[in-house]
Amino acid sequence: MRVLLTTDGSETSNHALKFGAQFFGLPDQMITVLTVIRLESERPQAEAALNSACALLRPEIVNIQTKVRMGHFPEEMIEEAKAGQYELIVLGSPTKGGVVKRLLKPPGMLRVVGEAPCPVLIVKGPFRPIRKILLCDSGVEDSSLPGRFAVRYADLSEHEEEITILHVMSQISAGPGIPGKQLRAEAEDLIHEDAPERHVLERNIQILDQPLIHPHPKIRHGFVVDEILAEAQDGEYDLVIIGAHRKEGWRGFLLDDLAQKIILQIDRSILVVP
Amino acid sequence: MTIPKGSSTELRSRGRILHTLTLVLKRIHAVRVLLFLGSLSLFIFAISLMKDGARAISPFIREGLSVNNPVNSLGFGWLFAYLVMSGSPVAAAALAFFDAGAIDQYSAFTMINGSRLGAGFIVLFIGFIYVLRGRDRATSLSMGLLSLSVTGVTYLIGLVIGYGILNSRILDPLQLQSGAQLLSFIDRIYDPIVGFILIHIPQWSLFFLGFGMILLSFNLFDRCLPQMEIKESQVGRISRLVYRPWVMFIMGSVVTLMSMSVSVSLGILVPLSERGFVRRENIIPYIMGANITTFIDTLLAAVLLDNPAAFSVVLVEMVSISLVSIIILFLFYRRFERRMLDFVKWVTDDNRNVVLFMFSIFIVPVILMLV
Repeated sequence: MRVLLTTDGSETSNHALKFGAQFFGLPDQMITVLTVIRLESERPQAEAALNSACALLRPEIVNIQTKVRMGHFPEEMIEEAKAGQYELIVLGSPTKGGVVKRLLKPPGMLRVVGEAPCPVLIVKGPFRPIRKILLCDSGVEDSSLPGRFAVRYADLSEHEEEITILHVMSQISAGPGIPGKQLRAEAEDLIHEDAPERHVLERNIQILDQPLIHPHPKIRHGFVVDEILAEAQDGEYDLVIIGAHRKEGWRGFLLDDLAQKIILQIDRSILVVP
Repeated sequence: MTIPKGSSTELRSRGRILHTLTLVLKRIHAVRVLLFLGSLSLFIFAISLMKDGARAISPFIREGLSVNNPVNSLGFGWLFAYLVMSGSPVAAAALAFFDAGAIDQYSAFTMINGSRLGAGFIVLFIGFIYVLRGRDRATSLSMGLLSLSVTGVTYLIGLVIGYGILNSRILDPLQLQSGAQLLSFIDRIYDPIVGFILIHIPQWSLFFLGFGMILLSFNLFDRCLPQMEIKESQVGRISRLVYRPWVMFIMGSVVTLMSMSVSVSLGILVPLSERGFVRRENIIPYIMGANITTFIDTLLAAVLLDNPAAFSVVLVEMVSISLVSIIILFLFYRRFERRMLDFVKWVTDDNRNVVLFMFSIFIVPVILMLV
């Protein structure tokens, strides 16, 4: 797997590097550590940050390439991701800013998530080994991209993972007289009743039917964003995986960007799969 | 002298036009067009009847029922809408009373507000019947409660804003040029019929006859709406997606512009989904949009009454509700959404809460009427 990591020498970056290292698995993978500077005068600090990153990643990772780019962070990240054909980008948690700042200028990481051609892992909080994963599948897409990525990660990892497949039913009945049993049902009931949610849960169970992976289907009822955030916290998950918001065509224009809301509000690491 | 025949190009062109016209005519359902025309004619006739009848029952409204200030007019419109299980006829009645001098402009405004608060009751009432028959409370009542709550909050805030706009007279210059010729044409057709009816029944009964005709006209109009038959299809999948709030707001406005009824617009959501479910995230902005364009028929009634002040009342309603809705959508939407759904959950969590809610939505308009 070709992985792109970023660093600016901060503690946050180090957490991101250590967290991202769990995805590297095989020692012969190519890892690129990138730092972006605005001015040429920042190059010595950049080199120091890159050396520090390499020291942190060795001896487990052998093939490390370092790069310095000059420009604006999101644009340079996206350019590098496209040019280098990476399969995963790892970013540290976003710059803290007030609500007004977020409204006027979306954080750089949201731009990277929106335009990167590959999955983006946003690392938040202190380092934690990945043992419990929350995989969120809306069922809108015909195939489960987050599920497929979860399997790739599990292939690389030598540890056992517990993966919860979460589907949120935010529906209510559109009128009186509608049979509403499925609006209160648990995952097992929906699977048993051959509800549309059964297909969503079962396809992920099938994909995740691998050694060292223990998949559990789960249904929650409520607002999509609220339920994902609540489940992530209640279940003490180490990593949350969601699909990205599709920006092309009418979907990008008409559909709500739930991925962005989750990314901004979640308090733990999140992997966004396009 | 010989008459030249058309060239082959012209003949082909005429043929194409005829073919296109035939295709278009085939797609138009003649019965639905007739129903629509019938509904419109009945509506116009009903307004004429109510206009004349309202003058005769004005003293009863003012003195008998003591509907003589904006507060008790709000309660009157609310209870009246409960009685007829519809808001639009009551809104038309409010304009007829205003035109006849039974109530003033502010009372007409609040009576129309009241009619919207009462209009949401039908969906809730049907849900309540299902609960009494043993069905699940949340499933049966959610949509009705949500519709009533969202309408209640937006209209009550809109009442304050609208009152201010009405008082300022800022929208008075905005009038639709209805065309004196069109109105005089309508009067030429319907006045003789009204005159003939007046010979046989007392004038006050014209109001009730007109009111009944409005209900019939809406019933006919509902029948000319296209029927939705959705099986497992792409349209059914659409109900699974979460749309941006402004998209659902526009959708609610457009659907209600065509259906002219919030309850019909909500009812359309049932066949539009494979199981009769709708996403929480989508429904509130849809209701907010529907609450604005539901006034289109009331606006038409004001035009037919040929009363500029009545037209201003309806315009102020639409503007004030639009303002409130837009402010909520763009500034407080997430909080508003959660509060509304938390409220619905609170009501449906316990039978006592349902009873308390039902009691309050009846007692409040009664208390208002006693002011």
